[in-house]
Amino acid sequence: MEQFEQLLTCCVCLDRYRIPKLLPCQHSFCMEPCMEGLVDYVRRQVKCPECRAEHRIPYNGVQAFPTNVTLQRFLELHIEITGELPDPTSGQIMERCGVCSEKAYLSHCAHCEKKICEDCKSAHMDILRREITRFNSQIRRSLHRLQDSLAIIEKNTMSLQTNAISVTEEIDEIYQRITKAIKDRSDQLKGEIDRYLAVELRNLTTLKENLDLEITNIGSNCDIVDKYMNETVEWDDCELMDTKEIFLKTVEFLRHFEYENNDYSRRVRFLVSIDPNQLVMNLATFGDLNIAPHSTPGGSVSSSHLAPPSGLQPGLMRSKSDHRLATQFRQQEERGGYNDEPVLGGRKFGERPQRSATTANSDRYGEGSRYGRSDYDYENDYENESTGGRTGKSSRFRSRFVRSHQNDDSDTEQQQQQRQQELKERKERVLDSEDVSRGQLSGIIRLSDCSRVVQRLADIGKEKKSDKKSDAACAAQAAVQAAIQNQKAAMQRQQQKQSAAAADEDELARQKRKSVAAGAAGAATSSSEAGQEQRPNSERLASLKTTRGGEDSDGSGSNQAAAASSPVRTATAATRAESKPPVAAQVAAVKKTQRSGSSDSSASTESSASSGAAAAAAAVAAAATPSSSQHKAASTARHSSARDSVASSAVPEKKPFVSRFLPQHSNPPSASNGTSDKKKAESSSSSEEETSSESESESEPETKPKASTGSTTASKSAPSSASSSTTAATSAGSSSTSGSSYRDRLEARRASRDDTALASRSSYATPSSSGYGSAGSSSTARTRTVPAPHHASESEDRYGSSSTGTGTGSSYTSRFLNKSKSSAIVTQPSLSTPTASFDEDANGTGDDSDSRYGTGRSRYLAMKERRTRLARSRSSHQFGNEDEDLDEPVSPTTVSPSAYLASRYSGYGSSDLSRSRSSHALKSRDNSPITDRSAGSSRAGALGSSSTDNKDGEALSSWARYLKNKYGSKSSKDTPSGSAGSARDSHAASSTAASSSHAHGTGSSGSGSGRSTASEVSRRLSLGLPLRQANELASSDDDGSKNGLGSPTSPTVAAAVAAAGITGVAGTIPKQVYLRKRQQLFQLGGRGSEPGSFTWPRGLAVGPDNSIVVADSSNHRVQVFDSNGIFVKEFGEYGSGEGEFDCLAGVAVNRIGQYIIADRYNHRIQVLDPQGRFLRAFGSQGTADGKFNYPWGVTTDALGFIYVCDKENHRVQVFQSDGSFVGKFGSCGRGEGQLEHPHYIAVSNTNRVIVSDSNNHRIQIFDVNGKVLSTVGGEGSDDGQFKFPRGVAVDDQGYIFVADSGNNRIQIFNPDGSFLKTFGSWGSGDSEFKGLEGVAIMSNGNILVCDRENHRVQVF
Amino acid sequence: MSSLPRRIIKETQRLMQEPVPGINAIPDENNARYFHVIVTGPNDSPFEGGVFKLELFLPEDYPMSAPKVRFITKIYHPNIDRLGRICLDVLKDKWSPALQIRTILLSIQALLSAPNPDDPLANDVAELWKVNEAEAIRNAREWTQKYAVED
Repeated sequence: MEQFEQLLTCCVCLDRYRIPKLLPCQHSFCMEPCMEGLVDYVRRQVKCPECRAEHRIPYNGVQAFPTNVTLQRFLELHIEITGELPDPTSGQIMERCGVCSEKAYLSHCAHCEKKICEDCKSAHMDILRREITRFNSQIRRSLHRLQDSLAIIEKNTMSLQTNAISVTEEIDEIYQRITKAIKDRSDQLKGEIDRYLAVELRNLTTLKENLDLEITNIGSNCDIVDKYMNETVEWDDCELMDTKEIFLKTVEFLRHFEYENNDYSRRVRFLVSIDPNQLVMNLATFGDLNIAPHSTPGGSVSSSHLAPPSGLQPGLMRSKSDHRLATQFRQQEERGGYNDEPVLGGRKFGERPQRSATTANSDRYGEGSRYGRSDYDYENDYENESTGGRTGKSSRFRSRFVRSHQNDDSDTEQQQQQRQQELKERKERVLDSEDVSRGQLSGIIRLSDCSRVVQRLADIGKEKKSDKKSDAACAAQAAVQAAIQNQKAAMQRQQQKQSAAAADEDELARQKRKSVAAGAAGAATSSSEAGQEQRPNSERLASLKTTRGGEDSDGSGSNQAAAASSPVRTATAATRAESKPPVAAQVAAVKKTQRSGSSDSSASTESSASSGAAAAAAAVAAAATPSSSQHKAASTARHSSARDSVASSAVPEKKPFVSRFLPQHSNPPSASNGTSDKKKAESSSSSEEETSSESESESEPETKPKASTGSTTASKSAPSSASSSTTAATSAGSSSTSGSSYRDRLEARRASRDDTALASRSSYATPSSSGYGSAGSSSTARTRTVPAPHHASESEDRYGSSSTGTGTGSSYTSRFLNKSKSSAIVTQPSLSTPTASFDEDANGTGDDSDSRYGTGRSRYLAMKERRTRLARSRSSHQFGNEDEDLDEPVSPTTVSPSAYLASRYSGYGSSDLSRSRSSHALKSRDNSPITDRSAGSSRAGALGSSSTDNKDGEALSSWARYLKNKYGSKSSKDTPSGSAGSARDSHAASSTAASSSHAHGTGSSGSGSGRSTASEVSRRLSLGLPLRQANELASSDDDGSKNGLGSPTSPTVAAAVAAAGITGVAGTIPKQVYLRKRQQLFQLGGRGSEPGSFTWPRGLAVGPDNSIVVADSSNHRVQVFDSNGIFVKEFGEYGSGEGEFDCLAGVAVNRIGQYIIADRYNHRIQVLDPQGRFLRAFGSQGTADGKFNYPWGVTTDALGFIYVCDKENHRVQVFQSDGSFVGKFGSCGRGEGQLEHPHYIAVSNTNRVIVSDSNNHRIQIFDVNGKVLSTVGGEGSDDGQFKFPRGVAVDDQGYIFVADSGNNRIQIFNPDGSFLKTFGSWGSGDSEFKGLEGVAIMSNGNILVCDRENHRVQVF
Repeated sequence: MSSLPRRIIKETQRLMQEPVPGINAIPDENNARYFHVIVTGPNDSPFEGGVFKLELFLPEDYPMSAPKVRFITKIYHPNIDRLGRICLDVLKDKWSPALQIRTILLSIQALLSAPNPDDPLANDVAELWKVNEAEAIRNAREWTQKYAVED
């Protein structure tokens, strides 16, 4: 059988025969590639490998040889017998590979869309796998952010609960107080009435008695007179006289007596000083709930890291290898939301994107059409997408970048998936089930739910060995997934990889409806999601209201119902603070005005900039609110309807905006109470991440000062709030008119939103039309009003200006100004001045940014901005945290907001993003998922910046500061303390939250470099390398060094910082190391001819034992130093004999320690043994092969071949180690592959020959056969350009080092030839060069540089 | 670097699985086209008892061109020069794609058994071999003892 096998095996390819062709000598070989390879095309002969017989090739080529039919039959028979699978390539025809253009059996590659050979395909798959791995690690690294936000959400839930409880308590308290007051009063009044009654009664009784007496008296008198006053009785005159007098008197009395009715009919009247109706009204509205706004609607838990790169940050996110993808992505980006499509474009996981199913090839993938890509353009696609959900045809790019929508058929069930999924999903195909677990936030499906993946895993289980594809990775990830799934924590992990979802309105409405119906089924999950999700406020509100039941809001709710005019909730802090003042009723009134005013004003001020759009929303809200108790349902209904309809009113206007910002609204406002509570928590504080956390942070520090300042604050804040309320009125008035332009504005707003939190505010306020948002914005207002006492006039002015609607800047400023003041003023008045000026600046900036972004911004940019914002929202998240942390210690509380503010501005404009990134960077640098830490770190940066800003903020314009921020290292470099501070900052960053105060101290100590580092980092990051924080750190330091070359001390510190930052980050060490290069470690030599000195040294080499070998050219000797620069030995002297040199140039050391020396003026190469004894020499002057004309650089490769730069012959010659000529390449000229005065040469361990083509000012890279692989550089002094490059070196990673002689600098290039770093300048100091010659790289990464005119070798 | 042709993989596998007696070829861990070869001196030859190291490199167009083989261990042999280069027809013009690493190494082993001083590479050795074969063989033994016998 074995022999049988052997007979069926082609002896050339050692494989089964494929189309065996029979030679006339009766030997058979495969037609391709074996027979093809045997052909001698010159002689048109084929030589039989077996018998060496030569045969003429037929005219038609080798295929004209007869096929060995017998053999073929045997092959078939063999297949039948053994049942062995047919060769997959049998029957296929070889074609040119689309990538390497080798002839091979091709198959389609999903990665590059070409037909390519297996090799290339596996390479591509490898790329994909690596990318996936990278993404995976990226995700892993970023995943904790979801967890962080989960923690934050939990925290927020807690705080919300406490908040709610405290509000309830407050309401109770007020209620009790008011009740008590009323009761007391009524008791008192009752008592008075009683008393009064008693007195009056008494009076009346006596009167009655008296009257009775009179009556009896008079009656008796009358009787007596009647009876006795006649003649019968003797009365003397005197008596009669008296009687008459008495009767006269009685007559008189009776005539005069009149009951003084009035006196005794006095009625008690209950007089009420205040109109009872009014009072009732006041009472009814005595408290409102002010729900703090979420300042950033766009924000979500999503990570800026994972946010797809914008043009500014062509980062790692994008699969670099996948250009098509990249371009498509970009296009898509331009088109607007990548969010509106499902992850795989509706495809199933692993499914090949469909094309016209013509190229069916089912054998490999077993299902359906073999693959293809959608050819139709995006627009069509888009329509398809939006209209029909998933119809199975969707564009490919979409599938990659898109976030999911809920398709119609997808359940309301939550699905979870991680982002890597998305990447994974390109390749495998899957059955129907995967929609079930689609993540609500990101639309990521769970890999382990994909039947294809399951299949794969099963396969792996069965046959472990042959998993061709990325299944291994897949499996691992799937396992991860499964674990996650099991934990059930996945829900919270959902990532919003795209910053803001742009779900369609329809869909949104639909989803909402659906979700409402969904009920408690997904309650727990949905609640958690709700936090991360950006649902329209209205929605949230609705859910809140419907679900919240008997919570604190109830009381206030009823109040609202009565009031019917004002927003839903009073912010806790406000209520708290305001509850202090003891004048209950009046307070209520004041509060009410203030509240409404403030809420409106916040809307208005903020929105007034945006032409009162938000105000319009607020107005709408106000309109909507009156529906009071039912308005929850009503508003919900309204909203959904509004969303569906595209009416022209402000409300519908709002919705696209909303939807655009909400990453995903698929979420049901789930009905269950518990959920809603949670949701509420999230919504109020964390769900709109930045906003919430921000507002929270604001509120919390504020509450303290407020509490302390107590009633004065409240009373004083009244005027400002009044003014603001007027503002509100104005803006509300204008709102109707501005409604039409609202949308445009919003666009602009959106664009600029990342700069202006205001925008986010307004946007927030907008969706809140049902009242929630406006209430929410009242927190802002609250912020404003609080500090108002101190700066009442200022704030008033500001409000005034905002009421006129002049610009964003003002309102923006006001917000922050007040905030900063609230912090700064209360406890640290000294700070207030700089802060104020800073605010002024900020104001300017705000305007600036507005003008910048306001009108001309394309949507594309807007999208980018949005992403940026997202990023920022994250950072603010940290801030939020931080502020919460700061709540405990008092002093930090006061400063940190200003720091926060400063930091906000410090990264103003484009660096907003970067700032947030910086916090990320710092965070991930910490390598620990503890939020507090990162908060601390970011804060440290913030503090640093704030202090700096405070320091020089007054003098600088905002732009100057911005620039300074951007290139801020200068300032830090100027002051060593600054850099020290940065070190400390970083230290603080890496310490725990407990060190926050420390960090604070550091910051205030005046370190600017914390910020600078951070901003540098962030800038780097924003430039698109979000992954490599460490690198970025390092690179930022590089930048710093560039900026601060003048001061040699700071770079080291910075480097130390970088090092500190780098610790813990592994993987890219050589790059980091190189990126940090700039500082001379030590140097060798000095002019002279004694040992250890040089005279015009030229070539450099590193021995296998890391010894440093220097061609001491004009001393005609070779000197050897150990790796620390200690002189070891020297050999050689002037002459032309053996072991003698004449101005040697290049030197090389081969694997076995032999020295290979280009003996320049002797036109030869000498080989010396490791002891320096002569072994051999070869070459002489000439132009023939093996002859030289001033040989210069030499090098050797792993096989011992010697490469010589034959300078004046403009070529490179290759010799065996014994000196026998092997080959040459290059000729004089400027073309590709031509050389002009090649000086130095290096060979990488991948056999790339790097030649410094000196007079062409470029580096050419050849393969060992002299074929040009690439060319680097051109004449110039920019990065990546050269002037007479000389020494070249390559390390074992492939990084290329070039001594850019004319520019007196060292340039480092990545293995792919892209520029990495440069350092050095002209001069004779440390790290300065005059006339560079050779460079060499030691195995530890130290760079040796031969500084010829300084007669030394510098080591970096 | 493009990936390895199937033939090389197959050959390597077979070399590992069914090693030729007296021949040991191990691919370099960094370069699968580079083999570290150990050939034991054939019995009844002056090289008996010696363990000779060779390097073998499969060029890019292998098997259409011959592998490059070189002795690393010094050897006293008329067809092998002091740099270890081997004068062997199947390594040069008589190369055929039907030959394999193992056949080549076997040929080399055979060359050790049967030096061919008429087609010399190391002329001095060949000369001595022709003139005074006994001394040449003695020299070869010496060299083998000196360079190719490991303790």
